[in-house]
Formats: sequence, C-alpha cells, structure tokens
Amino acid sequence: MKLYDQIFDVVKQFKKLFSPGPVTNADVSGSLTAEMFLIVSLILSAILLRHINILLAGIVTLILAVVLISSIPLIPKFKLEQEDSLEKMLFYAVLTLSIIVVFLYWGGNLV
Amino acid sequence: MAQTQLAILLTSIALVVIGLYSAIFIDNIIKKIIGISFIEEGANLFIVAIGYKAGGVVPILMPGMDTSWFAANAAYPLPFGLVLTSIVIGASTLAVMLALVMVLYRRYGTLSTKVMLADTSKQEEYNE
Amino acid sequence: MNELIPLMVIVPLISALIISAFSKFNKVTKIFALIVAVCLPLIPLLSNYGLHYFGGYQPILDNVTNVVYHPAITYSFTFLQQVFIAMIGILTFLVVFVYLTKYRKVSGPYLFLLFLGTAAVTAMLLTDDIFHMFVFFEILALAQVGIVAASSIDYSYEMALKYMILGSIGSPIMLLGIGFLLAITGSVNVTDIAAAVHNGLVDIKSPVFLASLGLIFFGWLYASGFPPFHTIKSGIYSKAEPHGAALLQSFTVVSMISIVLIMIRIYSSLPIFEVFIVFFSILAMILGVSLALTQTDFRRMIGFLAVGELGFIGLGIGLGTQFAITAGLFQALNEIVITALLFIGFGAIVEATNEVDTRKLGGLLAYHPKVSLMLLLGGLAMAGVPPFNGFQSKLMLVQASLSCGFPELSILAIMVSIATFVVFVKTFYVMFLRPKPNDLEVEGKEVPRSMVFAMGILLIIILALGLFPDMVVNGISNFVGGIL
Repeated sequence: MKLYDQIFDVVKQFKKLFSPGPVTNADVSGSLTAEMFLIVSLILSAILLRHINILLAGIVTLILAVVLISSIPLIPKFKLEQEDSLEKMLFYAVLTLSIIVVFLYWGGNLV
Repeated sequence: MAQTQLAILLTSIALVVIGLYSAIFIDNIIKKIIGISFIEEGANLFIVAIGYKAGGVVPILMPGMDTSWFAANAAYPLPFGLVLTSIVIGASTLAVMLALVMVLYRRYGTLSTKVMLADTSKQEEYNE
Repeated sequence: MNELIPLMVIVPLISALIISAFSKFNKVTKIFALIVAVCLPLIPLLSNYGLHYFGGYQPILDNVTNVVYHPAITYSFTFLQQVFIAMIGILTFLVVFVYLTKYRKVSGPYLFLLFLGTAAVTAMLLTDDIFHMFVFFEILALAQVGIVAASSIDYSYEMALKYMILGSIGSPIMLLGIGFLLAITGSVNVTDIAAAVHNGLVDIKSPVFLASLGLIFFGWLYASGFPPFHTIKSGIYSKAEPHGAALLQSFTVVSMISIVLIMIRIYSSLPIFEVFIVFFSILAMILGVSLALTQTDFRRMIGFLAVGELGFIGLGIGLGTQFAITAGLFQALNEIVITALLFIGFGAIVEATNEVDTRKLGGLLAYHPKVSLMLLLGGLAMAGVPPFNGFQSKLMLVQASLSCGFPELSILAIMVSIATFVVFVKTFYVMFLRPKPNDLEVEGKEVPRSMVFAMGILLIIILALGLFPDMVVNGISNFVGGIL
C-alpha cells in the first residue's frame, strides 16, 4: 500500500513542478512518461555492465531498481539539478572535467 | 635548464586550477571572468613552455648562420605562433563577455552572479 | 576544380566582413547577401575532391625516418565534407532568406554573424589541422553567442553570457589537450599525429596521452552539448530567433562530428575512448528526452530533443565499426535537416501567436493547417517513422548495435525514439488539436510565407533522403572505411 500511495502522491508533486501556472493533463502524463522512461532507461543501461562482470551487472541493476523505484517521483528532484542557473552548470562542468581527467590519468590504461 | 621549464609548467597548472576554483566559488561576475581567463592564460603558458629550449636561440634564420647549427639550437617556433593566435581569440572572447556584463549590470544594478545569472525559466514561462 | 576548396571558407568570411562594413546601404546589402547565400551550397557541389595546401607547401618526405610531414595547413575535401557543407549551405540560404524577408531593414552585424558561423563550421569540417580547428571552434562560439544575444527574446543576454562563461572553460581545456598532443608529437597536423600514434612512436598507455584525450574530450562535450552542457545548449536554442536556432543546431552537429572524426583518427586504438563516447551519448539521450517531456516552453522542448538526438550520433560513432559510424554520420545529416525544420516551424507558430507556452495554446490546426501538417511530418521524421530519413538512420543504428553485441543499446535507442514520439504527440495535441483557449488571439496573424517555403524545401530533402538513402550512405561508408 505504501508504494501505491507514493505513486499517487507523484501527481501531486508534479503540481509544484509546473507552478506558477495551471497543470494540464498533457503535462502530467508527459512527466509520468518521463519518470518511467528515466527508471527503465537507467536500469537498462546498467545492464551494459555485464561486459565487465556479470555478477556486478546483476547487483548494480537490482540495487538501482530498488533505489529508483523507492525514491519516486524522480523528475522534480532531477529537474531541480538541471536548472538554468550558472552556479549549477559550472559546478557540474568542473565536476565532469575533474572526473574525466582523474579517471583517464590514473585509470585510463586499465580498460 | 630543465628547472625553468618545470617552473613554467607548474605555474600553468596553478593558473588552470585557480581558474577552475574561481569558476565555482567566486560570486562577483567580473572577478569570476578574470579568474576564468586564467585558464586560457594557463593553457597558453603551457604551450609556450613546450617550445622552450635550454640555451636555444630565436628561431629566425639570419644571413650568415650555419643551417645545421641553427637547426640544432633554435627553439621550436610552432607553439609561439599558435599561442599568438590563441591570445587574440582569448582577448576577443573576454571583450564580448565584459560587454555582456556591462549590459546586464545596467539592467540589474548588481554584479552578483547569483542574482544576475540565476535560473530564469520559471519567471519567463508563465507571466500573466 | 580544386581551387574552389579554400573558397568555401573564404567566400562566407569575406562577404560577412563586406556586409557588416556596408550595411547602411540596405538594398544592396540584401541583394548581396542573397547572392552569397545562393553561392554557398553551389561551391561544394561544383568543386572536385582533393587536398589543398595553404601557401602551396607540399608534404615533405623525411628520407632518414621515411615519415611524411605536412608543413602547411591542409584542407581535405571528400564526399563527406561535400555533403555536409552543401547541407549547411542550403540551410544558410534558407535562414538568410527567411531573415531578409522578415525585416524591411536588415541588420548588417546579424548577417555577419550568420555568415561567420557558416564559414567557421565549414573550416572545421575541411581542416586537417587540429589547432586550425580550435581557432574556428572559438570563432564559432563567438558567432553563436552573437546570434543568441541579437535576438529580442527575454533573458537572451543572460543565456549568451552563461554560454560564453562555460565556453571559456571548455575551449581552453581543449587547447590544453591540443598542447599535450603537440608536446608528445611535435605537430598539430592530424595526419602526422595519427601516423605517429599508429606507428608506435607515441606510447598510447602514457598518462599524458590519456590526459590529452580527456581534455580534448571535455572540449568536445562543450561543443556538442552533451551532459553536463545539455542545459546551456538547449537554453541557447530557445533564446535565439527561430531561424537563428535552426542554424545554431546545425553548427552544433557539424562541430560535434568534425571534432569527433579527428578524435577517432588519433585515439581509435584506445578502447576507453569508445566507452566514454557511448557513456556520454546514453546520458545525453536519457537526460535530453526525459527533460523534453517535462517542458512547457516548446522552444526549450525542441532544444532538449535536439540534444537527445545528438546521443544517437554519438552512439553510432562510439560503437566504432564502419557500419555504425556510417549510421551515426547519416543520422547527423538527417538531424541537421529535421531539427532545422522543427525550429523554423515552431518559430512560425511563435510569429503567428506571440506565445511560447504550450499551456496557453490550442486549436491552431484550423488556423495554420500547412504549418501544422509539415510540423507533424517533421516530428514523425525525428521520431523515426518510415518513410522519412530519421527511420533509415535509426534502423541502421539499431542494426549496428545488434551486430556489435549490444542488444541493450538497440532497446535503449528504440525506447528513446518512442519517447521522442510521445513528446511530439503530446505537443501536437496540446498546440494544434485540443480546443482553442478563450484568451488566445490568433485571427489576422499570418505565418510568413518565406518560412513555409523554407519548411517545404527541408521536407523535400527529408523525404528524398528517406526514400533514397543510398545517395549519401554509400559515399559516407567509403569515407569511414578510409579513416578506420
């Protein structure tokens, strides 16, 4: 029942996502589609880890599925992290740069 | 003098790191732009350092110079040419950025990045 | 006629300068800009394939080590370049045409920016010199910022400044990567660097070589708008004038493929390179399409979709086989046309209603049947519905990922296509099919005819590429076979 309530609560959460302004059917259904698409595609891409290790892929996929489904609605949190403010953009850009360079410099020849 | 080259390389790395730091942590937009332009300067300095040659001569072949001696002792000229182009581009980018900042300062009356370049998608989406 | 190869860059560059210098003569400027715009697609079609050495410095053979050096900046012109430059030329012509008919008094600096951007992407495609590419990449960034800032949309200056600040991190980082390559190989010519790497003169396991990949890769992420730059890229599309946005997205696609083709030639022996490209492409597809589903501003929605569709190109290139790269490049060509059609079409709706929020629109099918029909066809093409070109390239991509042993990627690609389709069905319903809201005023406002004309031309190209894909696929396949 808890999960059911949570799913029902998602629609209410979407209301905040589109404020100010009215929330239409199309927008809510679009957001729900995005929600499902996000979960399924992330899990699907986690299966790609099987090319490294099958056991790892299984564990990661299961954990990811449990974590993602239990923390719905994802889209409001997700959209908040990708808004237009320069602060967030710069933060993610520098973070990505450091991850890429650190990963390649020290671990690049492991793959 | 490998130490000279090493010092230049370390300086360029320091410049890039300072630039990345200021990109995240400095709020004043002018200071932020100055900081970010350090990255460009660091990259330029790095490329200049590549062309450095200990005890080398200027890579211009003067009349009367021995060609083989010149080839062995001249510094590598390509990086200097590249950096010259890169500096010009960097200056024009900086000019455009500062021009935009001037326009925005007149509109907002502040130089704070948090105010000037905040998330605007909510305000513009639904204004009655 | 090999002499035409440098002219592809010189003609738009010189005419941009002339137009901005003599922009007070309005009529002359208009006629001149139109003539140049007509010439742009014709030059690559008339030119012969071949190489052009600037300054006439031919390659030098070192007799001792038996290595060929390229002292000059080299332009190489093959079928791939021809197709893409001609497509950019056609698009520039259409955009300039739309712009010239929209305003009675044209702005010289704006036309300057349009031509400058075209010249920059053309040079990026042609060049065989990695620093030359970087220079034009920076010029392109300036032109893009100018096109965004020149629009009269709210908050366009803010978006332009954000793009510029992010760009002033992305570009120097790429320059640093080029500097690393220069330090290792002593050259900036891609052919020379690739030869040094493949002949074993460079230790590909060395951290410096790997770091150069990381730095150039970061610059590439900025150029192509992959995450973490997907928000700013979609932002600048939504803040430019619609015809400007149509050109901006083509600049993005072309700069993306021209940088990635250079990276393939240098780094193809590193397996991690392909892993990285596939990883970021998957991320771009997921983020782009899921964010497009939640947007209420339809310009922003198309912007996110354009970013998401770029993931398909990256996917094809990341798989790394000849067939997959061909599919990716074909998808790039298709995406240029389809997204341009969508931007111009939705821009026509903005012209007619002065409204960008989907929640305030509705019932437009009765008022603008031509535009809505063409937009529907464009949307279907982007979602990959036969017989349009998007279907052909996406089918090739799905086949390629299946034959490489990645069925998950095929499923993911199909799912992204379905989600794209959902975005279109939703938007089309909201904007065109549902009853018109009472406070929306549409009477008496016409869609500019030049926009309908531009959309018609793009739709014909979409259909032609969809029905006869072999026109370009064979040539691209030969090109890819040559660089692998």
